[in-house]
Amino acid sequence: MILPAVFLVSLSSLAFEVLLARIFSISQWNHLSFMVISIALFGFAASGTLLSILDSRKKNWKKRFAEGKATSVLVLLYSCSTLISFIILSRLPLDYFRLSLESIQAFYLFISYTLLAIPFFFAGFIVLAAYVQQPQNTGLIYFASMAGSALGTILPALLLPFIGEGKLVVIVAIIPLCYLSAAAIIKSKKNIGPRFPARNWFFPLTSLCTMLLAAVLLLTPWGNAQVAVTPSPYKSLSQLVQFPHSTVSSSVSSISGRIETVNSPYIRYAPGLSLKYSGSLPVQKSIFRDGDEQLVLYGAGGNPKAFGFALFTLPVAGYDIVTKPQNALLILRGGGTSIPAALAAGVPELSVIHESPSIARAIGEHYSLHTTSENPRIFLRHSQKKYDIIHLENWGTSLPGSAALSQEYLFTVQAFDKYLDHLSEKGVIIISRKLLLPPSDSLRLFSTALQALQERGKKNPQHHLILLRNWGIFTLIVSKNPIENREIPINFAEKLNFDIVYIRNMQASLANRFNIFKLPHHYLAVEQLIRHYSEKRDKQFFEDYLLDAAPQDDHRPFPGRFIKWDRLGDLYQSMGSRPYSMLLSGEVVVAVVFLEALAVAALLLLLPRLLAKGRKKKVPLAQKLYFFSIGAGFMFVEIYFIKAYILIFSSPVVSFTLVLAGILLSSGIGGWCSQKMGRNAVLYSLTALCPILLGIVIFMDLLVDYLLGLPALLRYLFALLILLPPGILMGVPFALGMRSLLTTPLQRAYAWAMNGCASVLTSIAAAGLALHSGIPPIMLCAAAFYLLAAVCSKSAASGKE
Amino acid sequence: MGKLVFVFITLIISGLQPLAALPAGDSEKYARSRENMVQNQLSKRGIADKKVLTVMKEIPRHLFVPGGLSFRAYADSPLPIGEGQTISQPYIVALMTELLELTGSERVLEIGTGSGYQAAVLSKMAEEVISIEIKEKLCSKAGRLLDSLGYANVETRCGDGYFGWNKGAPYDAIMITAAVDHIPPPLLAQLKDGGRLVLPLGNPFSYQNLVLVTKKGDDYTVWQISGVLFVPMTGHALQAAGKKP
Repeated sequence: MILPAVFLVSLSSLAFEVLLARIFSISQWNHLSFMVISIALFGFAASGTLLSILDSRKKNWKKRFAEGKATSVLVLLYSCSTLISFIILSRLPLDYFRLSLESIQAFYLFISYTLLAIPFFFAGFIVLAAYVQQPQNTGLIYFASMAGSALGTILPALLLPFIGEGKLVVIVAIIPLCYLSAAAIIKSKKNIGPRFPARNWFFPLTSLCTMLLAAVLLLTPWGNAQVAVTPSPYKSLSQLVQFPHSTVSSSVSSISGRIETVNSPYIRYAPGLSLKYSGSLPVQKSIFRDGDEQLVLYGAGGNPKAFGFALFTLPVAGYDIVTKPQNALLILRGGGTSIPAALAAGVPELSVIHESPSIARAIGEHYSLHTTSENPRIFLRHSQKKYDIIHLENWGTSLPGSAALSQEYLFTVQAFDKYLDHLSEKGVIIISRKLLLPPSDSLRLFSTALQALQERGKKNPQHHLILLRNWGIFTLIVSKNPIENREIPINFAEKLNFDIVYIRNMQASLANRFNIFKLPHHYLAVEQLIRHYSEKRDKQFFEDYLLDAAPQDDHRPFPGRFIKWDRLGDLYQSMGSRPYSMLLSGEVVVAVVFLEALAVAALLLLLPRLLAKGRKKKVPLAQKLYFFSIGAGFMFVEIYFIKAYILIFSSPVVSFTLVLAGILLSSGIGGWCSQKMGRNAVLYSLTALCPILLGIVIFMDLLVDYLLGLPALLRYLFALLILLPPGILMGVPFALGMRSLLTTPLQRAYAWAMNGCASVLTSIAAAGLALHSGIPPIMLCAAAFYLLAAVCSKSAASGKE
Repeated sequence: MGKLVFVFITLIISGLQPLAALPAGDSEKYARSRENMVQNQLSKRGIADKKVLTVMKEIPRHLFVPGGLSFRAYADSPLPIGEGQTISQPYIVALMTELLELTGSERVLEIGTGSGYQAAVLSKMAEEVISIEIKEKLCSKAGRLLDSLGYANVETRCGDGYFGWNKGAPYDAIMITAAVDHIPPPLLAQLKDGGRLVLPLGNPFSYQNLVLVTKKGDDYTVWQISGVLFVPMTGHALQAAGKKP
């Protein structure tokens, strides 16, 4: 009877985790959600810690857990705590920006961690209790847990378009209560005499109360308000709706993000607008993704007469260079000025790409344009068409540094190569972004273009580049062939009071004319970069530069990441010694979370020894290492595939959902199969895993390239098939290890804690590793940990130190 | 006895004198914090305009921040004031005010009243300040606070700052304290010839630099004021520090 409980709670807790990630992405930012959720997942490991302590303090604990009632209590506690934690968390006045100002905020953060850890603690407890109760059935328990988790991963993707995030959490929380109802019915049928003695009413009554609370939250306006998920007040959407007559006219949730359209007479978005423009801006409406990444639609009904302003914006320099452009490909992720710019420039044929289907549809309807909802890299892989203009618009989030963890394939060397492939002979790429100090983003994109051109065998790649700026943004123009007519951009810049950062044979006087810095920082940085490039000392330049501004490739696609740890002190000083600018960076958040996680893991693993009573039983080191290693290996593999498949599945969230579902289900099958295997299969499965993982990492580039060329359905199917062999093999070592390597409940409890701690630490370490060294090393770490597990497995079986 | 009473009364009056010089809600503790703020955060970083320093020493910043954060009012950081709004770091307020080069006879337009602190500072530096705030809650709260503290030459208007306030134009100086991605053309049009417009760039929690626009006829020049917000470590500065490149 415990298997259904394991299945339902695993389903619910995984769905809760996915929904939390969604909710925090809306209410905060991705990198801050990473912080809270990572620590909360220690709840799983904490259940192992508690049982290890119980083992030494309560002699009959195992017997008490063997009674079905304990499982029912735990299931009930799980559902109640999930609901209550979520409601309290929604009301908690936690403000990350006040953390360094008010000590109470640290307390709120601690409360958040604790509240979120509690449901995971109970979920972990139920699964662990099953392993302890039925050590002979570890394969089946593992299968139930993994199959439930796999379904829980997919559930939000299926239901979010119909049910909002908050309501779905409520539904997900009460799913395990089905177990209680079933258990109560079965028990009542077996009972002889009075069917419901007084104390047996506890479960039906408490679960009824929980159901009632859930019903109130789901069905009443008051309840809906309690579980409503609202964006952080610092996000662009929250700022805009504070203006009079500004309302959210539509809101569509999906696993990829919440898309909200805002109508307001006060939207006036025109980055890069020249000070020479004295007219008015057209009516605008905004579309937000997760309360940020604003995309603006101009003109009532997309009336092109209103788009004259766009000719005064900086990116139009690219349209001026191409004489009478015949077609343009606009790749949008936020922004929106590129469409009026292209229309005002008189481009007769426009193709617009946006990854979100609902935003692509809205753009198409508004401007009556052909739009495609697709990952731009996949679109280009399937298209043979040449364009006169490829215009990329991606301004990033409203919080600098928060994009450091974002995996982005639009700005890698390989992406530039693809864009160049799709340019006509006179074609140009136009990219505009925010101008940052110290020069970072502009420098990185410039060097990325330079490298892409160099790799295509261009003799003087810098002759293909122009970099312009005003006071707030820059525009990089990359042409297929060397730019012959320098006068066009120079005159354009002069006419509209823009400055030139780089153009071939440039006079220094053009760098700092209208938007004057004390020193022309961007010009100086680019000039030095080109000098180093021409002397083939570009590596030296990137090594010495204050920030990591080196080009990014598909193996390390993090264009928002700039911190060099060995230059952190210099950077801090250069930013005016203000901690805020550092704390907002995703890289710093990962490092801080890892340190927090190390502390929590140490506490959870030491507590059983510190609090043990009487003669202390020891868990052999080999067993500890074995379960730590397979936990770490499993998580490294999962994260490797999630990151490597983002390009294939078009978005990080879809990749996360499908990879998790695929690996969890296949490892569940592996666990099930292990039920009939002998102890030797542990070593065999681990030995087989290592070469498979290494093979995958070696051939991944070829696989991805092949998959990108397939139609969507086949692409998804083959990508999932690749997960199966490692997934099945990864399921064996844990389930079989629990059965054949361990003999006592204490060992199982401690192994669970080790495995849980390893999973959390590894997930954070993998994020840091990807930022620092790229994605392939993640899989090498996975193989190394599985190898270590194989080495430990023999000693672990003998129970020797 | 009469002497004793006289001495007692004199002592009380002398003891009350410093308090009487401070506005309501102010105290010696805060006055000392202001003094420290001016000395350590402003003067040492190069704010040289004596009037700016004097004004910043006088205005009770703690009354413009939420009660729970008043103890941090004079800290070297921006502070949240609720609803996603912030009150700028004291140094930013001083630097922006100094950049306007006010002599006391100007008419100043401020876009984005926020808590009203910047308007209070400007009111002591200029003849007339018109401050526009689009968010009604903030607008009425700041208006009430500025009135109650006696800043009589500040007029707060609830409305759309994008279009400035044509009736009061032209302005000698304009300060934009709200986030913008472009400088609104109507504001440039309302700026007096020879006038100065200043706005901060970047996130309110970590402004990168300030933008100062000067107008001469129909021509505008934009000056990027890094100050200590960004201490360049690239290019010449890096070479000077003995590092390559």
